[in-house]
Order: sequence, then C-alpha cells, then structure tokens
Amino acid sequence: MKLYLYGIIDFSNQITESIYGLEGSNVYNIPFCDIGAVVSEISQPIRDVTEGAVLEHEAVVEKLMANFTVLPVRFGTVVNSRDELFSMMESYYRDFKSNLARLHNKLEFGIKVIWPADKVKANIIRVLKKDEQTIESDNSPSKRFIEEKFEKYKIDKEFEAKANRFIKIIDIFFGKFAAEKKLEKLKTQNLLLDAVYLVEKDKQRDFKEALEHIKNANYPGFKYLFSGPWPAYNFVILSRQSGLLTDSQQTNDILDKVTQCQALVGANSI
Amino acid sequence: MNSVVVKSKEVTLLEILDRVLDKGVIISGDVVISVADVDLIYLGLKVLLSSVETMEKLRGSPFISPMQEAK
Repeated sequence: MKLYLYGIIDFSNQITESIYGLEGSNVYNIPFCDIGAVVSEISQPIRDVTEGAVLEHEAVVEKLMANFTVLPVRFGTVVNSRDELFSMMESYYRDFKSNLARLHNKLEFGIKVIWPADKVKANIIRVLKKDEQTIESDNSPSKRFIEEKFEKYKIDKEFEAKANRFIKIIDIFFGKFAAEKKLEKLKTQNLLLDAVYLVEKDKQRDFKEALEHIKNANYPGFKYLFSGPWPAYNFVILSRQSGLLTDSQQTNDILDKVTQCQALVGANSI
Repeated sequence: MNSVVVKSKEVTLLEILDRVLDKGVIISGDVVISVADVDLIYLGLKVLLSSVETMEKLRGSPFISPMQEAK
C-alpha cells in the first residue's frame, strides 16, 4: 500500500478529527521529529487528474489548515512506503521547519484585478493624438513609418506606466496588512494584476475590508476577483539544496535532532 | 443570482486548480515514485484561467466572493 501525501504540519501526534481523503481512505499523521506528514493509504499512483480528486485533496488540506500550520503538498504526490516517507522528511526537515515557522498563523489571499485595457489604450491614443495635432510633420513614407513605430512605443510605454500606477495604488490598500506578497503585472492585457498576499490571521478582517475600500474607490470598468483564505500554497519556499546542510552549527543541531527522531520513529514503527 | 453562484464556483475551482496542481510543496528526487503527470493538463488550465476575464466580460457583473463563501 502506498501513501498519498496531503501536507506537512507542525504537529507530531495523531489527528483526533476524522478526515477522509482520496479513495475514501482515512487521513492520518505520520510524525517525524516535531512535525508530521499527513497521508492516506492509496492503492495505486494517481493516473488521472479529476476535478473530484483535486477537490478532495484541497478539502483535506483546508481541514488541516483549521487546526495546524500546514505546508500543502502538490496534488498527486505518492510515496511507496513509510521508509521512503521518513527518508523524504529527513531530507526536507530543515526546509519544512523554517517554512512552518514562517507561515505560522498566516493565510493566503488571492486578488486578481481586471481592467478595461481597450478603453485605457483608447484613452492613451486619444491624448497622444490631441498632442500631435499641434505638431507639423511632413508625410514622407519613411518618416511616417518611424512615427508610427514611435507612436506604438509611446502607447505601450504609457500603458505600462498606467498599469504600474494602478498596481501601486491597489497594493497600498492591501500591502499594509500583508506579511509577504507576490505581484504579477499584466499576465494578459486585461489581467492588470494577479497577486497573492500572505496575511496574519488576526489581520484578515482588515485585509478583507481593504477590498471594500478599493471597490468604493470606484475605478470604472475595474473588476476584482478575491479569493481566500487559502493554505499558503504560493509562499512555500523549498531550497534546491534540501538535505544538503551547509552551516556547521545548524547542521550539527539538526543532525542531532534527526538522529534522535529517527530513534523514536524507528521505535514507533516496529 | 444563480449565475453569480455558478460563476463564483467556476472561479473558485480555477483558483483551486491553480494552487493544488502547481503550487505548494513539490517534492523532487527519487523518493517520490509518482507525481501525477499534470503539467500538460495544467497548460490547458492556464489558458482556462486567463479566460476568466473573457468570462467576466461575457457575464457583465464582477465576481467578488471569498472562496469560503463560494462553497
């Protein structure tokens, strides 16, 4: 029987709540040192990504989120056995611990801002044309070609400048309540901002109120897609050197701890 | 009203897919025997996600609903 992995939590005892995951299997915690890997048994690796399975995975992670700090694991992660799980936990232990500490008591919120790109561009063009009316120019083809290129450049530049200005304003509303954030500008012409914010639990009300404030700011044609609270999917940072311990003092501390834990885990798993 | 509920569910599903299939702890190496082959599917989902704005255009009113409310 293989183990399907949902998340890593800052808890090393058994979960008291009954949670059922993929294939209707019981979800339980496998302790490793002072943290735990939440799994359920699964008969075979995940072959198909179905809406139902994804939602079941997410439901388990959200139930964990209610009681623990959780590092959500990507859908479809399966390990062969407990031994392999322990090996993985040992390799990633330091990463898991630092992420659990960083994300403790924090939630993720997503904000997508859609703006009327066509109207914004049309407005930019209108203003530029107005300015150009005062400028005399000859109509030679080469000069017109250069002018058209330059005009497109000016439009694009102004479009981006406007995007930057709006994103700055939006971020003023939300950013002050966030511990961390990731902002992506203009993924598409209309998707002005795709942002995720990491927010402390006791600031989530303020954060939600910020949405109301920005709605009241009344930018015509703007639409806001707000989602959350989520487990901190976007803020888990794993170093590429997982398992390769470099700092000597920290290395010794962690290796000591892992050795002690392995003894405990070995005793428990017999 | 129904369309708002449906829309919020659709958007919520896209938000879930975006996270569950592509974010979080991604374990690499020989320990993990199987990570679902989601990349190709996700490519499709990215297209779907960017089409949220198209959906918004078609349906008019903005979606504003925390995920918890959408459930």
